[in-house]
Amino acid sequence: MKRIFIDPTKCDGCKNCSLACMEAHRQDGGTGIYTLDLQDPSNQSRNRILTDGKGGYNPIFCRHCDIPDCAGACMSGALQKNMDNGLVEYDAEKCAACYMCVMSCRYGVPAISPDRKRVIKCDFCAHLEEGPACVRACPKKAIEVREV
Amino acid sequence: MERFVIIGAGAAGIRAAQTLRKFRPEDLITVISIDDTVHSRCMLHKYLGHERDAQGISFVEADFFEKNDITHIAGEKVTKIDTGLKMVYYGEQYSAPYDKLLIAAGSGFFIPPIPHFREAPNVFGFRDFSDALKIDEAFLKGKRVFIVGSGLVGLDAASALCERGAQITIAEMAPRVMPLQTDDYAASIYQKAFEAHGCKFLLGVGATDAVVDEKGNITEVILATGEHIPCDFIIMAAGVRPRIEIAQNSGIAAERAIQVDDHLRTSAPDVYAAGDCTGLSGVWPDAAAQGEAAAENMAGIDTVYEKPYPFKNTSNFFGVTMLSVGRLDLTEGAEILIHRTPKEYKKAIIKDGKLTGYLSLGDISNSGLYLHLIKNGIDVSGKTDKIFRLSFSDFYGINEKNGEYAYSVS
Repeated sequence: MKRIFIDPTKCDGCKNCSLACMEAHRQDGGTGIYTLDLQDPSNQSRNRILTDGKGGYNPIFCRHCDIPDCAGACMSGALQKNMDNGLVEYDAEKCAACYMCVMSCRYGVPAISPDRKRVIKCDFCAHLEEGPACVRACPKKAIEVREV
Repeated sequence: MERFVIIGAGAAGIRAAQTLRKFRPEDLITVISIDDTVHSRCMLHKYLGHERDAQGISFVEADFFEKNDITHIAGEKVTKIDTGLKMVYYGEQYSAPYDKLLIAAGSGFFIPPIPHFREAPNVFGFRDFSDALKIDEAFLKGKRVFIVGSGLVGLDAASALCERGAQITIAEMAPRVMPLQTDDYAASIYQKAFEAHGCKFLLGVGATDAVVDEKGNITEVILATGEHIPCDFIIMAAGVRPRIEIAQNSGIAAERAIQVDDHLRTSAPDVYAAGDCTGLSGVWPDAAAQGEAAAENMAGIDTVYEKPYPFKNTSNFFGVTMLSVGRLDLTEGAEILIHRTPKEYKKAIIKDGKLTGYLSLGDISNSGLYLHLIKNGIDVSGKTDKIFRLSFSDFYGINEKNGEYAYSVS
């Protein structure tokens, strides 16, 4: 399986990854970062860059864990570990918005949607042939896709 | 070739079946369940609210059993196990031999000894798919519903039926709704949300008697105050009891629940138990984890199951979301921190530098962190000033080998 590896020492907090994530998942049909509505809660990024309190940054990205607590806690079958590609995949149609996944992810990755009807979580940009938009947007190579 | 038999097709039973298939691709796996179809108990209200159909509340694909080459004996009740002959008896006259057996029979609703309640045909539980079908049918005849208990099960039923125009009265013995998960303030938010949808609450009062018609149906519930509440049917949501009849009929040690050791083995050789029937926990993630651990042991992979800790749950009614972890009531000698805005309410109980309870109402994103802190007794004494703004960044660490995260705690 592939995983986005993180080197926090290289991150300078530019948040290009977050913008790329928002752009890759926008639902309004538009393209191009200049027309992206940054204030629309439905455009929420699936990754977060947080400060480490010492001048550096800690990127928070879904790990698509080997043993995913989110999928282990899912009572609807919406979150499942795909054993073929290693991804923890999410099916919003099945999701019952019980938020057991939110409770169970110790890293705080799945976020609850503004309408409280689903979760927002990294899908590894499954719809993009070229792979995760965040990785391609990082000017410092602080995140990169590697085989594990 | 080994023969694995699983009793029950809930969170624990299905997870066990998946796990066994993963480690034993060739062996025989049989699941025996009372229900005809697999369904998620936690989504039963979506069926009752006519939001989803039967397949819509399943948590596995429709072809789960065929795809995994698992035999599903559906709609059959296991009556007894012969632990000497290693045979499971079900239905009128059938039997299934096993080499390793898992009991994942769940729990059943409990009816307190109130006169007429245990006999009346219009008193229902809300646990199994069959319960939802019975309530659905009763609802055709009358829309005045009396619900005993305001825990998650009672409120699930209420939220489903009030969307369908029911007149709902909910009686709760405790002085607030969802007493296990809430404090007074959080409870008041939920109470208002349900009242805005037409539900009526009777708090701090219990049912003590009933008026029945000639068929034994309860037509009025009599409260401790002497008040009479007319109703068409009753939903019991005053707690559950682990299903232990199978164990009791078979000489397997059980008192309140089926006794298991740290490998989820029962007192009988090669018989394991997982999920609600063990009495270890009542939430989905724990039941599923037990099913997985038991199955690993059944497959010969030595797995120690750590008792679930702490108490935890989430709820989401009418878009009001809440997470509750640990003990909110044990406040003696503890520091209580509260954060309240028009959209959020958060409460942290801190004792000896460690979080012992955490409540979050509103946007509960990122709250899995707090469960981890409580579960692992991680010291937060230097962080109490920003206790509601903690994130994984405060404990950031990376497992260089596989690229996953790891908590770094000093």
